Amino acid sequence: MELSDDRHMELREIQKLEGHSDRVWNLAWNPDSTSPPMLASCGADKTVRIWQQGTSGSWVCKAVLEDSHTRTVRSCAWSPCGKLLATASFDATTAIWRHISGDFECIATLEGHENEVKSVSWNASGSLLATCSRDKTVWIWEMLPSSEFECVSVLQGHTQDVKMVQWHPFLDILVSVSYDNSIKVWAEDGGGDDWNCVQTIDEISSGHTSTVWALSFNSAGDRMVTCSDDLTLKIWDTSSNLQGMNGDTDSCKLWEDVIASGAGDDTICLFYESKEISDAKPNYKILLKKEKAHEMDINSVQWNPKEPRILASASDDGTIRIWELSEVTR
Amino acid sequence: MEGKPGDDDLDLFDSAVLLDEALRQEGFDDGYKDGLISGKEEGKEVGLKTGFQVGEELGFYRGCVDVWNSLLHIDPEAFSSRIRKNVQRLEDLLEKYPLLDPENEDVQEVMEAIRLKFRIITATMGVKLDYEGYPKSSAAGMEDV
Repeated sequence: MELSDDRHMELREIQKLEGHSDRVWNLAWNPDSTSPPMLASCGADKTVRIWQQGTSGSWVCKAVLEDSHTRTVRSCAWSPCGKLLATASFDATTAIWRHISGDFECIATLEGHENEVKSVSWNASGSLLATCSRDKTVWIWEMLPSSEFECVSVLQGHTQDVKMVQWHPFLDILVSVSYDNSIKVWAEDGGGDDWNCVQTIDEISSGHTSTVWALSFNSAGDRMVTCSDDLTLKIWDTSSNLQGMNGDTDSCKLWEDVIASGAGDDTICLFYESKEISDAKPNYKILLKKEKAHEMDINSVQWNPKEPRILASASDDGTIRIWELSEVTR
Repeated sequence: MEGKPGDDDLDLFDSAVLLDEALRQEGFDDGYKDGLISGKEEGKEVGLKTGFQVGEELGFYRGCVDVWNSLLHIDPEAFSSRIRKNVQRLEDLLEKYPLLDPENEDVQEVMEAIRLKFRIITATMGVKLDYEGYPKSSAAGMEDV
């Protein structure tokens, strides 16, 4: 889809998914293209819900994973093959679920963090899992053929709560963001288990000036966007090393040319890269602002990897909304 | 009336002033002596308590390492190479701890490295084994964001 300043786009609500009895923190679309469209959500009601899109197009809740975590489930992530789901909880554990024909079975529980786990992310090959926590550390786990997990390394460096971790879309490079206002890049040196921080982006290196809540890569891996309490979104050039560009919160997601962000002001904003010939450096503009997209804070926005115009959002109001980005017909 | 202060007069005033000073000094000396004694005793108690705590914790980890090594002696394949490497690293850290030098500025750092290494090993083994003695680094208060 060609986006330009002349086209008028709108975000149309397709469906509202209700079921969670408390705020919904995170969402994850199942990347497996062979199975019917599936979405996982998790929240403060300590459950994980699995939603599936039926043939009629509407979403229903297919499974509720409860009685596992004893506190809020803060984050969930599907493995690249779509058969495993990792759920990170304030109870300091990360559970791994295997999905076989509609049933979910907990096959492993990763313990180690001292307190609330905030985020979990699988690397591109599905062999490594990263978790981060309020205990200021990031743990990297390797999944063995027997579905056992071994701790590869514990990354120390952040001086405060680590809010989110995300792997690069195809390189084994990990990025973490924190309450200490910094972004850290981690890479492995030499083939063993020697992981180190190769770059730190803080206030001085034109990073954020307040808590960095989330990050997201584009599928090409050459752009990364981060969002922060300082009310800005920053877009980074990750083609070689990280250099900053500037764009203007709680969650962001990059889809090819469009960045979606949700925030504490109950709105969803979409940004795109304006490709005017006159622009010397990359310029991001606001595509649209959906006010009152939810009744309360929006905690997560995720583009459907299989259907690029579909966006899902999760909120403190306990609902998940499915949106479609389309051109306004005049 | 102007009179030349005689030696006797001087002594009289001096002893009154000096008495005050002398008594103060005597009091101070007594206090200092008593303080030294009770301070030493308190120091001994604190030293004993801290030494016991450190010793107990290090001993716990040492015991675990000994058991794991014994197991590996019987069956070298009992643990993955990653675990074996970490057990060795934990053993090295335990050796490195400046046990006889409590004033060494590395004590806190080495102890934390030991605790972390132990947690990594038990997490990888999937074993629930915690040393109950020390306070966790950020246990104070729970968070909900």
